[in-house]
Amino acid sequence: MRETRLWSLHILVIPIIAVLLGAHFAIMHYAPVFYGTSVEEAREFGTMIERGKSVAQFVVYILLLAAGLYHGLYGLRGIIRELPLTPALAKTVDVGILLFGLFIFGLGTYVTWWTFSFKIGG
Amino acid sequence: MTEKTTTPREITFRLRRFDPDTDSVPHWDEYRMHVHDGMTVLEVLHQLKAEQTPTLAYRSSCRMGVCGSCGMFVNELPMLACQTQALHLGADVVTVAPLPNYPNVKDLVPNLEPLIHKHAAIKPFIIFTNHEEIDEPTGEFIQTPEERESISQFTHCIKCGLCLAACPTVATDPLFLGPQALAQAYRYSADNRDCGLHERLEAIDVFHGPYQCHMAGACSQACPKGVDPAFAIQLLKRTLVLDSIGFGKKKSKLAKVMPLADVVKQIEEFAPPPRTVK
Repeated sequence: MRETRLWSLHILVIPIIAVLLGAHFAIMHYAPVFYGTSVEEAREFGTMIERGKSVAQFVVYILLLAAGLYHGLYGLRGIIRELPLTPALAKTVDVGILLFGLFIFGLGTYVTWWTFSFKIGG
Repeated sequence: MTEKTTTPREITFRLRRFDPDTDSVPHWDEYRMHVHDGMTVLEVLHQLKAEQTPTLAYRSSCRMGVCGSCGMFVNELPMLACQTQALHLGADVVTVAPLPNYPNVKDLVPNLEPLIHKHAAIKPFIIFTNHEEIDEPTGEFIQTPEERESISQFTHCIKCGLCLAACPTVATDPLFLGPQALAQAYRYSADNRDCGLHERLEAIDVFHGPYQCHMAGACSQACPKGVDPAFAIQLLKRTLVLDSIGFGKKKSKLAKVMPLADVVKQIEEFAPPPRTVK
């Protein structure tokens, strides 16, 4: 793929991360301000499971996961690829980071889906 | 360090010497020279070579900042030796070394092959793909003063290589195309007569292309011709992004071939005012 598209996407996800990370902070870390509950309460297992069953929550976290992973791993690739690598090694780095990203995304999606589909009491 | 002055005085010149036939690592030699006002670093080197160290190797040609041959690292900054007044450096000790970020051939001579290879890779020439028009021309291209102005500063590049020597990204990533090649890629791609952006993509739309620029701006500070390669790299990014989403140069706009009658009319429009003195 053209580097321009990869780079543009890496820039485009910045506002997405800013908004979704803001939502994450509001839910998890500023619960007393936005929801009138304590931080401890917001982090309780039961509260998280209950919250995780919302479709909006599911979508927000999958998007945040994808955007954050892409932005972070694109940056990591940039740092590693600046090293004097052979073309074969550079290709290995690209493929390795892609596979690692897909694995983490799969894992994150599984956890988010598990929370979303968790049946309370059964 | 002393203040900038035009008063003639003795200055010590520390030159980095390296002879690949006899030296394994470079070393520094010091020479004293009486410098008068108007004397450039290049003139100092000429005089040192004539009077004190005939084996000194350095590159120079035009002596007026046009050919770009005498790029050197003077007091830790890349500059043209022929455009640098020795007294204006305001230093009692002037160090002169070959340009960094290039292999060293001998003494103050850098190997500029990386610059040449990168420059050649971006196809630094007008690419016109309308073969019918090439085979049977129907008119001429007109480039308006505004169109020319938009790329004007980037045409002033003399390929001296100072920008690559100043670039911190080239220092850590030798494969980075660098400010010179990227600025020229923009210069040709933005030219209204050119339609070769897609032919250049293979060279410029890569990891070591414009997105690797850290925007330090050292290239623009170093350029002896006032070119702003850092700005050109940002403009090139914009060009590439617009092209990648289908908002690139339109072919119809490119084929700005005008019937000769229109050309004459346009030339008359841009003609200078009539002479006031016969």
